[in-house]
Amino acid sequence: MPDGSGHMQPYLAQALEASSRFAGAGIGWVDALRNAGAQRYADHGLPVRRDEYWRYTNLNPLRDEGFQLASAAVAIGLPPLPHSSVAGLASYRIVLVNGRVQPKLCALDGMTDGVLVSGLEDLLASAPERLEPYLGRVAPLADMPMAALNTAFLQDGMAIFVDADIVLDKPVHLISITVPGKGGMMVQPRHLVVMEEGAQATLIETHITTTGGSSFNNIVTELQLAENARLNHFVFQEVADTSVHLSGAAVALAAGADYNSFVLQSGAVIGRSEIRAYLNGPGVDCRLDGVYLATGKQVVDNTTYVEHAAPDCRSRQVYRGVLGGQARGVFQGKVHVVRDAQQTDGHQLSRALLLSPRAEMDARPELEIYADDVKCSHGATAGELDENALFYLLSRGVPRVMARRMLIEAFLSEAIAEIPLLPVAEDFSTHVRQWLGANVDQSTDGEGS
Amino acid sequence: MALLVIRNLHATVDGKAILNGLDLTIDAGEVHAIMGPNGSGKSTLSYVLTGRDGYEVTEGEILFDGQDVIEMGPDERAREGVFLAFQYPVEIPGVTSMTFLRTAVNAVRTHRGEATFDPMDFVKYVRERAANLDITDDMLKRAVNVGFSGGEKKRMEMLQMAALEPRIAILDETDSGLDIDALKVVASGVNAMRSPERGMLLITHYQRLLDYIVPDHVHVLAQGRIVKSGDKSLALELEEKGYAEFLENAA
Repeated sequence: MPDGSGHMQPYLAQALEASSRFAGAGIGWVDALRNAGAQRYADHGLPVRRDEYWRYTNLNPLRDEGFQLASAAVAIGLPPLPHSSVAGLASYRIVLVNGRVQPKLCALDGMTDGVLVSGLEDLLASAPERLEPYLGRVAPLADMPMAALNTAFLQDGMAIFVDADIVLDKPVHLISITVPGKGGMMVQPRHLVVMEEGAQATLIETHITTTGGSSFNNIVTELQLAENARLNHFVFQEVADTSVHLSGAAVALAAGADYNSFVLQSGAVIGRSEIRAYLNGPGVDCRLDGVYLATGKQVVDNTTYVEHAAPDCRSRQVYRGVLGGQARGVFQGKVHVVRDAQQTDGHQLSRALLLSPRAEMDARPELEIYADDVKCSHGATAGELDENALFYLLSRGVPRVMARRMLIEAFLSEAIAEIPLLPVAEDFSTHVRQWLGANVDQSTDGEGS
Repeated sequence: MALLVIRNLHATVDGKAILNGLDLTIDAGEVHAIMGPNGSGKSTLSYVLTGRDGYEVTEGEILFDGQDVIEMGPDERAREGVFLAFQYPVEIPGVTSMTFLRTAVNAVRTHRGEATFDPMDFVKYVRERAANLDITDDMLKRAVNVGFSGGEKKRMEMLQMAALEPRIAILDETDSGLDIDALKVVASGVNAMRSPERGMLLITHYQRLLDYIVPDHVHVLAQGRIVKSGDKSLALELEEKGYAEFLENAA
């Protein structure tokens, strides 16, 4: 599938070659889905600045096809996790290494009746009919160029099915480990979460890399919450700062559903969390929050799209981040309210703290409202530490570096305080403190002490 | 030795000269009041003494205990024992008053070579001092000054002073925004801190505060210099005549 200029889009030949060997090849709808991804990607290619949701994040490092699809899973043990409270939490564990489920590292015994947590590849081989009604139904390939590429590579990942009115007794913990080899390595995991009417669950994701070396993670997660289903979804993105880590999630929410997402991004040279939420029935409650920490030459991108397609729904987005060095933060958020979505309550806020004169924030909060009886707000701020607050702490004898750390931690803690699961909140706080300890010192201090 | 000696102090803010040759000496055990009209440099003096960024000393010296402090940062001066009670105490969302106090007190104690407090011991230490100032546990659990009334903020300043035990306390317009009952509580907090080892500098526009905290010396600040000094009767005189005399002299 050449593009208009006659040459192949990067990575497309790899996808076409490899996918013929993937589980599910030969099944009509699976082939059609992969082909649709490949076709869309062939037409469009990697995102460029004129793509609405990619104005500020440039994927040039990917263009010369310096990454090869990870061939086979590496046999490794479970590395120590960077966060102790979640590690100590009783949970069902599913582990991916280089994008492939590692059964030996998973802990799924004693699963609640009415719940299936499985590898996607297993299901494609053993029960593809279970996936057919859901896979590829939520993520719009036309709006998500990287999801198109991921779909062309669709092979493995995590699938969760929670039957109606089932309350999962423990969180599911997805641990996604990348082990980069010598050259650039690519993984394209695909996750699916299906919650039937009134089902309730908590999903925690941990994304880490074991060593340096460059890798490219292109993750797509599709989530479907039926009426009155509820999902709390927490993500820790702590991959090496040599990785490109792109995550795209699409969430379909039926009447009365309740979705709470909280994303911590602190790794990756380019880290992106894109969430598209479709509020399709009345009475939905959707919360998308995030905290990010970046320094050096990192780019950290949070992009959201919230579509109020039904009346009487509530959405809240609060993103707070800290940027040091020459790091760049991106927040693009759109709240789209259709004409019939009366009584919409939509709120969006981006706040960034710039610790260095060379750090940069690009924020583009947007409201697009066609209904006339709504309550919507949005705002974006980017600034330095409050000089009055800093002087107040200094005037009490608190050393400058400690004072700066206290104020930054306080700024982020207002977001972390909203996390409803205490061990997750604790680990977020611990991570923030460690990051501040490593990255806020005399050298990041403009004036000296 | 004098506790604080200010000699020929010139200072600028944004390139504009505010202090123009100010001289002042405070001995341990003394309470001095500086009075002056708006714009005379009172608040600038408090920030220059505490080392705030943007307040540049262009000439003269500030000796604290014989040591020149002009090159010291505000945190170093605070650990040496300089304290400023703010005219407008700053709100710090996300930091509880108790954590703020403990961090500050432990930083000062570490500097003095004293043992730091663990959180339990510190609660006791603070409660002893908070009781006299009508500061409740609830206030201590709240974020620093967030949602506090004007009186609560000023009482919290007094608690910080009591906890930090400074050697020189500068009180910038501590009476502003207080009703008479709140003023009495704050004044008794200040008076409790008077001691032969400690000096105090009250900066005020009005004489009212000096009814409750009686100074040993009163100075008039105008156009960035001390233009007249006297005992407490000078404050009463100013109350009667106003500052017109000093403004005219300058003109």
